[in-house]
Amino acid sequence: MLEIKDLKASIGGTEILRGLSLRVDAGEVHAIMGPNGSGKSTLAQVIAGHSDYEVTGGTVAFRGKNLLELEPEERAREGIFLGFQYPVEIPGVNNAYLLKAAVNAKRKHQGLDEIDAFEFLKLAREKMALLGMDPKLLNRGVNEGFSGGEKKRNEVLQMAMLEPSLAILDETDSGLDIDALRAVAEGVNSLRAPDRAIVLVTHYQRLLDYIEPDHVHVLSEGRIARSGDKSLALELEEKGYDWVREAANG
Amino acid sequence: MKLPTLSMDALKKVVAALPEDNLAASRRAALDQLRQDGMPGSREEDWKYTDLSGAVAIANRWLEAGAEMSSAGVAVADDIVRTIDADWIVIDNGHVDAQAVDETVIAGVEIKCLSGSVEQLTPSGRLGDLNAALLRDGLRISIAASTELARPIGILIVDHADSAATVSQIRVDIDVAENCTAGFIEYHTSSGDAELYSNSVINLTLGDGSRADYVRIQDRDRVHEQTGYQSVTVGRDAKLRHCAFDFGGRMVRNDLVIDLANPGSNAEFAGLYLIGDGQHIDNHTRTDHRTGPTESRQEYRGILTGKARGVWNGKAIVHEGADGTDAEQANHNLVLSKNAEIDAKPELEIYTDDVKCSHGTTVGQLDETALFYLRTRGLSRHEAKQVLTRAFAQTIVGKSPISSLHDFLTDRIAGRLDQLMQETDA
Repeated sequence: MLEIKDLKASIGGTEILRGLSLRVDAGEVHAIMGPNGSGKSTLAQVIAGHSDYEVTGGTVAFRGKNLLELEPEERAREGIFLGFQYPVEIPGVNNAYLLKAAVNAKRKHQGLDEIDAFEFLKLAREKMALLGMDPKLLNRGVNEGFSGGEKKRNEVLQMAMLEPSLAILDETDSGLDIDALRAVAEGVNSLRAPDRAIVLVTHYQRLLDYIEPDHVHVLSEGRIARSGDKSLALELEEKGYDWVREAANG
Repeated sequence: MKLPTLSMDALKKVVAALPEDNLAASRRAALDQLRQDGMPGSREEDWKYTDLSGAVAIANRWLEAGAEMSSAGVAVADDIVRTIDADWIVIDNGHVDAQAVDETVIAGVEIKCLSGSVEQLTPSGRLGDLNAALLRDGLRISIAASTELARPIGILIVDHADSAATVSQIRVDIDVAENCTAGFIEYHTSSGDAELYSNSVINLTLGDGSRADYVRIQDRDRVHEQTGYQSVTVGRDAKLRHCAFDFGGRMVRNDLVIDLANPGSNAEFAGLYLIGDGQHIDNHTRTDHRTGPTESRQEYRGILTGKARGVWNGKAIVHEGADGTDAEQANHNLVLSKNAEIDAKPELEIYTDDVKCSHGTTVGQLDETALFYLRTRGLSRHEAKQVLTRAFAQTIVGKSPISSLHDFLTDRIAGRLDQLMQETDA
């Protein structure tokens, strides 16, 4: 589904990704771990199409298409979803309005009619209940005055409504208490499907207790230093990131 | 910058030719005052950013050509009257139709022509003198005590300049007695290819315990010029809710002067200006807290593109003895182009101790992080900009006190913003 080859990207002249290669197939859950500054978030932002990052080399193909040629909105409509580490507060833009606009942008791209208003509301309420969200949040400004946990749940709600083919969740676990973490994990697990891939970007192993990955990759200095199964995450937890860095350099 | 100089000889001739009615003495007094004071110019602090020489030049050409008045575009008027629910009175190129005024019947409300109802016009500043000197006729609206209006009174100011420079003077005195609830819509529109300068004076007196919901919408042609002065005197425990929208006009200067003269006087006012290339819109507000406790809250917002120029000056004066004053001022601007310019100035003059005053102004661009966030949800860059600018403007619609206008305003704002964004993208 996603094929990244020798990807190099920089921001403001500083190279962050230095030849990263990764292949993610449908039905898989990948965890990307690594210390701060290793390029985890950059990778997520580059896949989503943030213009602050300059891709200086390599290729990113999504279902055979050159992703790097597409605008962020085109990537979204093609089925890529980025769950933000810091979801943006947008006062004055109704949460339900954005959800619906997002769903309809994708449907239009697929040649479908706009979602029925009643059906939309029913679906949104169902998903919110699953995530343990107050239905009132639907009528507030997007993330406006939401707690940290509410913001992250709102990201997962958007993902659940958009049903992406590839979901990248950037540090969705950060700043969550255990109840919120469970709710978010449950939301993500409910979206695991044979035709969908999920990439979890995380600093800590904790999230992986709730969402079991098929593959774990450790990033160091802009490259994948090690790949393995879920046991790699546990090993990492035990030995710390220095171990990977040393292994990569040695 | 050269000082705008009115052609006084031509003005004198035109004033002398106006009818010898009840207003004649006021016209002559205003003319004398104006000859003494002259027009406001850029050397004065209050007029530093707004140049009246364009408006004065139009006035001079019109005066020297004999001050002819053509009839306004009634078609535009019909459209607004049909769209917005209100009891409408039309002022057409400054002309008040006495018969139409007589035929307007609203329970608890008396509407008369100024020429038939007052001896002396209330002085209303230097532009008020220009207005009084040239005034053909105006309106006097009196609302009897304890009246609750079922729907707002609409004052539709429609001007038209067909082939020659045109000037119109509009004046409405509104007197709301005690314990009333009344809504007002002041709507300005104009059409025609020739130069136009319109000058309005609205004086509103709000009796004890009354509430006035007032919405001013200025949607003039973008080549026309306007100055508008509005004074509001707020009674004991009376409330003013005021909201102003500026969409059109080449040079527009609005003065809103609010007098909180009685304990419990309260004013909440807001404004929105959406301005594009070649437009200059200036909102000056002055709030006098003369006694305590009194409260004022204002928030103006602007969205600017092209070479637009916006001015906001919010002055609050807390007079000696006005203990328990609570005054809040805010002005926020979204600047969508490199060449737009905004001069925002809050001014507080405080002559007593027991006060709570705050002010804040911001000037910024669209938040790139928010734009990216919306785009990752499938909205195009254009749609994302649309969503963010509309949200910024919608805050003011939310403050607008006449809820039956909300849909109309929301649509108009969306339309105007689309226009402005097309200009920016072009």
